[in-house]
Amino acid sequence: MVYIQEAHPSDLWQLPSNVKDEVIFSSPKTFDERVNVANACVRDLGIEFPALLDNIEDSTEQAYTGWPDRLYVIDQQGRVAYKSDPGPFGFTPDAMEEALKKVLESGGAAASLLPYRAGASSPQGNRQSRRKE
Amino acid sequence: MTTRARKFVGIALALVGIYAVVCVGLFWAMCQPPDDFGRIMKHVPMPSMMVLPFRPLWMVARGGGLSAGDEAPDFELLTHDKSETVRLRDFRGEKPVVLVFGSYT
Repeated sequence: MVYIQEAHPSDLWQLPSNVKDEVIFSSPKTFDERVNVANACVRDLGIEFPALLDNIEDSTEQAYTGWPDRLYVIDQQGRVAYKSDPGPFGFTPDAMEEALKKVLESGGAAASLLPYRAGASSPQGNRQSRRKE
Repeated sequence: MTTRARKFVGIALALVGIYAVVCVGLFWAMCQPPDDFGRIMKHVPMPSMMVLPFRPLWMVARGGGLSAGDEAPDFELLTHDKSETVRLRDFRGEKPVVLVFGSYT
């Protein structure tokens, strides 16, 4: 996960659903404030894959137009293999999963040429090698 | 055209015009940085989202410049516990990476 600017903080466009769920945070103004909200997010939502903190200048969000939420798959060559539509409408994990499977199938063959990938060509091996940021 | 019909057409055109102006305004707001957009949306009554074409405008306004096949912009970011930095480029030639952009609210 790349933790970015809050979508519906209490000082900006707050949604009734967040008030109901008591997910109430103002928009972090400093990096330390961002770290605090990000950690609450990871802890409360039980996020198990690696979570990264975008800098307070939001340069990663801007490079990827990631706000308010969005999914990408980057292939083994460092190219964009899948880019979802902007969230919340475009946040479709099923479509992302399909794209990831395709990348693992096609990229797995090329990557098996690398010595350290030898023996990791089974579908199960590929599945386990997926890493979420 | 009767006076009454002319009046009706006039009102209809005015309403279409107002709707168009509001749509252009909404699209302009969507193109602003997220914080500015939120500051504007804070004052927009939610029921108006039922009649405004929010979704199609959003898809265009937040479309972004990256396309499939483009080189993914590199980044080097701290993990949430600040224990290490992760650089996207380090995964090249190794494994695909899923990026889930999001926040808590």
